Amino acid sequence: MPSKLRRSIFYWLILSPLVVVILFPFGVMFVTAVRPRDELFVYPPTWGFSEFRWENFAEMWVKTNFGGALMNSLYVSITATAIALLLSIPAAYAMSRYHFSGKGAYRTFLLMTQMMSPIVLVLGLFRLMMSLGLVNDLNSLVLIYAAFNMAFTIWMLQSYFNSIPRDLEEAAWMDGASHLTSLVRIFLPLAVPAITVTAIFTFINSWNEFVLALTMMRSSDDYTLPVQIYAQVAGRYQVEWHHVMAGTVLATLPVAIVFSWLQRYLIRGMALGAVK
Amino acid sequence: MSSVTIRGIKKRYGALSVLHGIDLDIADQEFVVLVGPSGCGKSTLLRMIAGLESVSSGTIAIGERVINDVPPKSRDIAMVFQNYALYPHMSVYENMSFSLRLRRQAKDIIDRKVREAAEILNLGKFLDRSPRQLSGGQRQRVAMGRALVRDARVFLFDEPLSNLDAKLRVVMRVEIKALHQRLKTTSVYVTHDQIEAMTMADRIVVMNAGRIEQIGTPLQLYDTPANLFVADFIGSPSMNVIHGTLHIDAGGVHVEAADGTRLAVPQVASGRDGQKVVYGVRPEHMTLAEDETGAPAIVEVVEPTGANIQVYCKLAQTSVCAIFTERHEFRPDQQISLTCPPDKIHLFDAESGLRL
Repeated sequence: MPSKLRRSIFYWLILSPLVVVILFPFGVMFVTAVRPRDELFVYPPTWGFSEFRWENFAEMWVKTNFGGALMNSLYVSITATAIALLLSIPAAYAMSRYHFSGKGAYRTFLLMTQMMSPIVLVLGLFRLMMSLGLVNDLNSLVLIYAAFNMAFTIWMLQSYFNSIPRDLEEAAWMDGASHLTSLVRIFLPLAVPAITVTAIFTFINSWNEFVLALTMMRSSDDYTLPVQIYAQVAGRYQVEWHHVMAGTVLATLPVAIVFSWLQRYLIRGMALGAVK
Repeated sequence: MSSVTIRGIKKRYGALSVLHGIDLDIADQEFVVLVGPSGCGKSTLLRMIAGLESVSSGTIAIGERVINDVPPKSRDIAMVFQNYALYPHMSVYENMSFSLRLRRQAKDIIDRKVREAAEILNLGKFLDRSPRQLSGGQRQRVAMGRALVRDARVFLFDEPLSNLDAKLRVVMRVEIKALHQRLKTTSVYVTHDQIEAMTMADRIVVMNAGRIEQIGTPLQLYDTPANLFVADFIGSPSMNVIHGTLHIDAGGVHVEAADGTRLAVPQVASGRDGQKVVYGVRPEHMTLAEDETGAPAIVEVVEPTGANIQVYCKLAQTSVCAIFTERHEFRPDQQISLTCPPDKIHLFDAESGLRL
């Protein structure tokens, strides 16, 4: 057997316990989601089941107001990402291209705020949203997610922007472009990979966030997806586990698709951000 | 009229002063080269002409118009960058047509101008390629093509050949010079390579530490360098310099080196007896002395290049280089006698470095 093949098999054997541990919950999740209800609690537990009950998904959709929660999550994640990017791109551009007094302090400030988790600050944030009248309003989550992600997005975008040569914009100015034109037609097209990666990170962070969503949203119509799924389990006398698992499958699916489609940008963006 | 007039230009970065008052007149259609060692301020001066650096004090004018406060996009100047600065997300055609598209010129006019420039620079078959598919020389030509299509009043070149290999540099040098002869646009060219300066310039501006050392035609700088810095900088291999004392007496003028070697010197316009001087002569002007008047030297290293023989020897305890086009037989440690024509001798004051 060629040594390369032998080495591959060896590494797979070493990694397989890790792979099992990681994939096992997903496997259980999927199998629970598609098996018939009465086969949920067979003992001893078994992977096998009689048929693929795809109707679980449809039932779950209706019973748990999945569609509504999905729309809420999409609204919050997309809007928070958009706002974060809208504000981060000029900030990162300024940090990358200009000298201004307080730049060092600002950079330290960004670094420090990245260390703060919104969960730690949940009480203060709740009172802030109360004073703004935004409790039980999805826009409270939009604001908080945008704000807390911005430290990371500015930092990451600035690192990438530093790698875009200044010559290109200078050449554009010499060609007759105004600052705005050179930014839009020369700089931004080259910054697309970094912006994409940053957008993914922000979207995923917002999508998965739980504690603040649970704290700010009071009525079940306004729950985001993680909270809605949690609500199927918490404080119930009877838990429809096949619905819960079906909901979880659907909740994790968009993120998995987005990740796999854009992972080449992810690696490139992370590497560039890390090196610079 | 596309003359460039620079008056009293100073540049400071905070407390650090990099240009100490530059005065320069560049005539219409002239090809001027700014040359000097790294850090002398030549690129800074070029970027100030372009508008990419602000002016701390002084004025820059193109024709009659002072352009200190005019943004780069309105100066009607085209620039070729050291790293080409081609837009990576655009094809060669789009790179070259970008400035014309910004001015919203008609599509057929843009097409004609781009294709004409591509024809001149042999880029015809690369128009659909993207910059990453081109070699260094091709990219540099695209950068020149981008400047060419604009009919700008002034061309600026910021060390455009630095990133190319030696052979390609020679080819591109000739191309740029030919282009200038054809287009006759006022051009300012920055380089640290004195050979590029000598071969391409109508006039050379030698800069050092933020000041102009000398301005002149290539041969003026070569034949009559104003000071030691210019004498050493222009010419390759560099001018031989020997430190000594000037002696003026009834018998004539000569320089006595530290070890007592006498070096004959023609009459000097200025200079006092006993003055500490530097005796300079270019390697290519040294010849073998036929009689006893030559200075004794000991051969150290012989380098035959084919076209000539470069001999490194010790003369008056100083390492000097002599270049001979005739084929001589030299051996290490051989004693030879060197001399040179009187009109090829240069004398500089040892303290100030200025030419006597």
